Amino acid sequence: MRRFTNGTRRHYACSMVLALTLSSFLAFRSDAQSTQSEDVKPVPLFTGSAGFLTSFDEGEAHLGPIVSPILLIPLKKRWLLETRATFESDMVQEPGLSGFHGKVAKAVDYAQLDFVANPYLTVTVGRFLTPFGIFNERLYPVWIRNLQTDPLILPIGIGPSNASTGAMLRGGFKAHSQFNINYAVYFSALSTASPADSDRFAGGRAGIFVPHVRLEIGGSFQHLLQQERSNSFGFHAIWQAPALPLDIRAEYAHSKRGSGYWVESAYRLSQLAFLHNEMRRVQLVARMQRFIAGILPSDPLPAANTKQFEFGLNYYFVDGLKGIGSYGRQFSADGNKNVWTLGLTYRFVLPLGHAGSE
Amino acid sequence: MGRLYILLCFLGVMTGLTFSVIAQERTNSATSSSAATPKETRVARGTPAAKPSSPSSATTAEDAAAVERALRVEGEKRFRTNCGRCHTAPHKFPPRVMATAIRHMRVRAMITDEDMRLILRYMTR
Repeated sequence: MRRFTNGTRRHYACSMVLALTLSSFLAFRSDAQSTQSEDVKPVPLFTGSAGFLTSFDEGEAHLGPIVSPILLIPLKKRWLLETRATFESDMVQEPGLSGFHGKVAKAVDYAQLDFVANPYLTVTVGRFLTPFGIFNERLYPVWIRNLQTDPLILPIGIGPSNASTGAMLRGGFKAHSQFNINYAVYFSALSTASPADSDRFAGGRAGIFVPHVRLEIGGSFQHLLQQERSNSFGFHAIWQAPALPLDIRAEYAHSKRGSGYWVESAYRLSQLAFLHNEMRRVQLVARMQRFIAGILPSDPLPAANTKQFEFGLNYYFVDGLKGIGSYGRQFSADGNKNVWTLGLTYRFVLPLGHAGSE
Repeated sequence: MGRLYILLCFLGVMTGLTFSVIAQERTNSATSSSAATPKETRVARGTPAAKPSSPSSATTAEDAAAVERALRVEGEKRFRTNCGRCHTAPHKFPPRVMATAIRHMRVRAMITDEDMRLILRYMTR
């Protein structure tokens, strides 16, 4: 790793002083408004999701049980300790053996301490999901995602094991009567301690949300502070049609290791006149994505240019329990293939204490 | 050169944030001084309305109920708009569970303080 020069140190020192000064300024401005936000005392929660996914990739069956427990511990009025771990397996039939076999992969997705300084600023330290684009941080859990396969560009900008180790400033606030602004700036240190490894980088993400038209657009930027010291950037958009049960999401990401985009639409059949009780639980999903290989190789990204189309159907049995089925066709210079997925996902919420109001 | 980019980006974000905060503070102070009535303020802070023992207090109770309804409608709207951006909006949880969940989502989904308060109010009453 390159040694720091005096100029570099000065830059970091300036950044830190500036960040602390502005953070303090922002923290003390609206103290009173923040403290009256919650009248109800929060209770620690054990929540998360579980799923059992069966996929057929090029004709080979994979069984994928996954459990992602989350522990949320609110501390006083402004603090939150949150951590998520993931236990998953990819079980396949081994030649000469009966049944399906696979190892259980364990990962600490995040373990972070949040301090809500004021309505505009939250300070996070620890291991946190890298806020590059929207999928990794907001759409990743199996009970949230509409299609169970990861977008091809997901590994761009999020580091190894999808997380950062360091500090982050973030927040969302009403900047105008018509729109809100959200932002996140972060620094991650190098960590080689698997499974909590991370790269050394710094970056930020900012977005504008227009509630009236239910549209959010934003961009992400990241500078890698190791290896080739390259820049990555991306854009994202979420739109919920006000008059239709239709969600459209899209992301674009670019780096020296590859670039690409995905566009996904999801439509709930709640407007159909017949079998309303059943149809309102059905969601049709389609996603198109493309990946263009970069000038540098990367293990988690496809080695060749790839296009992929997917169609899925989700059925919401009850709140938190979802049945999923999808078909995808991948076109790549390394070979085309079909991917079928079937499964069930479930979200659970268990209070670790008295759940009622005080 | 790369660090200069980061510093510039950081400066840009923080400067924009600071200006927005100042603008928002000005808007808030102007709005609160001209629009908020003592009645609405009391209801918004959760103080129970007076019992309707006379015609004037009956009117007060009706007004408080109207404000409560308006806050609930607004809370539901914010709930659908914010939560629905990423996932299907869940059913209501017990109040203390919801208080934790909304703090978690405030960090995760970066919802605003105002949205958080209205959603929490809608989900817990």
